[in-house]
Amino acid sequence: MQSQVMVEVRDLAKTFKGKNGDDIQAVKGVQLDIRRGEIYSLLGPNGAGKTTTISMISGLLAPTRGDARIGGHSITREPLQAKQLLGVVPQEIALYPTLSARQNLDFFGKMYGLTGTELSRRVDEIVDFIDLRERQNDRIETFSGGMKRRVNIGVGLLHKPQLIYMDEPTVGIDPQNRRRVLDTVQRLQQEMGMTVLYTSHLMEEVQEISDRIAIIDHGEIIAEGTLGELIQQIGEEDRLTFKVGTQSVPDALLAQFKQEVEGVTSAVYERHDVTNGESETLAQVDGIVTIMAKRGRKALPDLLRIADDAELDVLSVEVREPDLEGVFLHLTGRALRD
Amino acid sequence: MRKILAITWKDLYTTFTDRNLILIMIVTPLALSTIVGSAFSGFIGGGGNDVPIRDIPLAVVNLDQPVEVNGQSFNYGQTFVDLLIPSNPDDSTSLLQLTDASLFSKADAAQSSVNSGEKSVAIVIPADFTRSLTYSQDNPDIHVSPIEVYSNPSAPVSAGIVRSIVENITNIFLTGNATVEATIEALIARAQADPAFGVQFGLASASGSFQPDFALAFQPDSAPITIEQQTVRGTAQTFNPLVFFGSSQALFFMTFTAIQGANSMLEERRDWTLQRLIASPTPRITILLGKLFGTWVTCIFQVVLLFIFLTLIGSLIAGEPQLIWGSNLLAVLAVIVATSLAMCGIGAVVAALARTPEQVNVVGGIVAIALGLFGGAFFYVQAIPQIAPLSRLTPNYWGTEAFATLAAGQTDIGLNLIVLAGIGAVLFLVGLAIFNRRLSV
Repeated sequence: MQSQVMVEVRDLAKTFKGKNGDDIQAVKGVQLDIRRGEIYSLLGPNGAGKTTTISMISGLLAPTRGDARIGGHSITREPLQAKQLLGVVPQEIALYPTLSARQNLDFFGKMYGLTGTELSRRVDEIVDFIDLRERQNDRIETFSGGMKRRVNIGVGLLHKPQLIYMDEPTVGIDPQNRRRVLDTVQRLQQEMGMTVLYTSHLMEEVQEISDRIAIIDHGEIIAEGTLGELIQQIGEEDRLTFKVGTQSVPDALLAQFKQEVEGVTSAVYERHDVTNGESETLAQVDGIVTIMAKRGRKALPDLLRIADDAELDVLSVEVREPDLEGVFLHLTGRALRD
Repeated sequence: MRKILAITWKDLYTTFTDRNLILIMIVTPLALSTIVGSAFSGFIGGGGNDVPIRDIPLAVVNLDQPVEVNGQSFNYGQTFVDLLIPSNPDDSTSLLQLTDASLFSKADAAQSSVNSGEKSVAIVIPADFTRSLTYSQDNPDIHVSPIEVYSNPSAPVSAGIVRSIVENITNIFLTGNATVEATIEALIARAQADPAFGVQFGLASASGSFQPDFALAFQPDSAPITIEQQTVRGTAQTFNPLVFFGSSQALFFMTFTAIQGANSMLEERRDWTLQRLIASPTPRITILLGKLFGTWVTCIFQVVLLFIFLTLIGSLIAGEPQLIWGSNLLAVLAVIVATSLAMCGIGAVVAALARTPEQVNVVGGIVAIALGLFGGAFFYVQAIPQIAPLSRLTPNYWGTEAFATLAAGQTDIGLNLIVLAGIGAVLFLVGLAIFNRRLSV
């Protein structure tokens, strides 16, 4: 009987040598299970260890410690068998620009062991699946960004993998093509029963398509579960955002929000400097106070009163129900794009 | 193996469908070789790239024995020597300006001087040179006993010039003696047919009043004679400047191809296609071998194409089909394969040690130019004794020399093949090992 777990990661760790010879622990003993047929998203700010973890699972990096199994095959002891079950769709357009779409598919198909009529049939199927039959013999370099993305995905699907890893597949494409990619991801799961390991910077995307989500920070998985489970983990807090323009917000005031208003669990001030492109002079300062609070709408009047007493001029207020972005911010203290 | 071939084919296809690369790999070296080679072909009519046409270091060995006919002594070998090494340095009829000739007593010593580079060319006048040319009752059919011209294949211009000198001088001797032979035979025939004339001719000869002036007969003539030109290894040589310029330019540009081919590994890593390959169920070593094998085959194709085009150009210049690389095409292919392997080895090491494609471009450019410089792509390195030994450290030297040897009709390229294959195998494995280690982190 086939195991319900497609990917098992156990105590996976990676240590690099820093420039000064020090050991840098990029991944510190990650453990996770990805079930067959689910869309599993891995979120983490830059430098959190997300890419290193996935590189080890894909066989691009050798782990310093631990192991991962894909479909029961160890990536360290049976790498070729494990890789045969895995399709990879990197964030980069990993295609040969001077080859046609069909030639790219044909070449990578051979790398996955496809030959002869089987290869030809699969390439035909993929060309239809990514809706590029008309342009299949055109060079990749002549394609739009969205079309390149579709071929990039198509290459990962050629050998009918049981698990497909998609690294930010919607980066740099217009909303129409983004929608198309997201639909494709869901079709892979629903029509082909594939397991999808997905990463994105766009919370809405992850929230929309994921069955389960893991958040990684400082080389460790700090939360894992469905969206509902994650929101529960942070106590279903609302997120209140105050725009304060150029005014600075002292730490004492942030502490006062937490101490004096019931339900407030955190208050963070972030300053975003906007510069002119050419001269790099400071054009605008956007100060934002983000407050996590249970029953945020009830806490709002008290928060505004304290701000007013401290002579903080709140320019705008936004209250958001619990969402993934709030979870992420709560758990990591950072926005995903930081 | 199938995957290695797929990677190789992909690299070949992407390279040879890129117009810019074709321009750099094929058109540029072809144009340079054709222009320079053609210029030299017209300049000396079969010369080469060792341009010094003054003071050609020449070793002369005169084994000729004088011949006495009717009380007169003839020694054309000595006349030959006097023309090349006159007792009076101001003698305007001498070839003093053109050659820097020294007399050697033995052929072996002269050949050694050519081997060591002290002399560019050696000529050996055979012992029966005068006898073969002198008309007498013992030798009624005059002919030329061949003068051997020994030269180093890397000094083709000097060899060509000396060959011309030898041809011209020998021509004069032969034409003159042929005239004497014809005149005397005609007089004897008339004397036999006309007794009165016979008596008159006999009396004139006996009294010494018959003094024919044969000087005019010894003026230069265009009567063709064949002189075997030989290299130090003793086989006939036909030099074509396209061979030297073509092969040196081909190898110079092949260095860039080899380095860029290996650099494509780093470029593929930058563009993530390499990671995509590594994430596929393909062993790393297969990917590496496919990439390096692809570079190797690309280099081979580049040089083969260049050589085919140069052969066509050489045939057009000559006005008839010519195998300018010699008739041993398998040996030519073996040298191409070995030289390509050596260049790929260099490319693999350069690319494996670099961190970025940009680094490879800079370092690779320096390496390629240095190899070309010392390997003879820009000037005749053997003419500069200070750096000539360094050229032996480059695959360019061994490759160019092997092509010249084969073009000269010789087959003695074993050492060249061993050196080239050795350089290639060692550096190829080193590059492979470094790349493999870097990809396994």
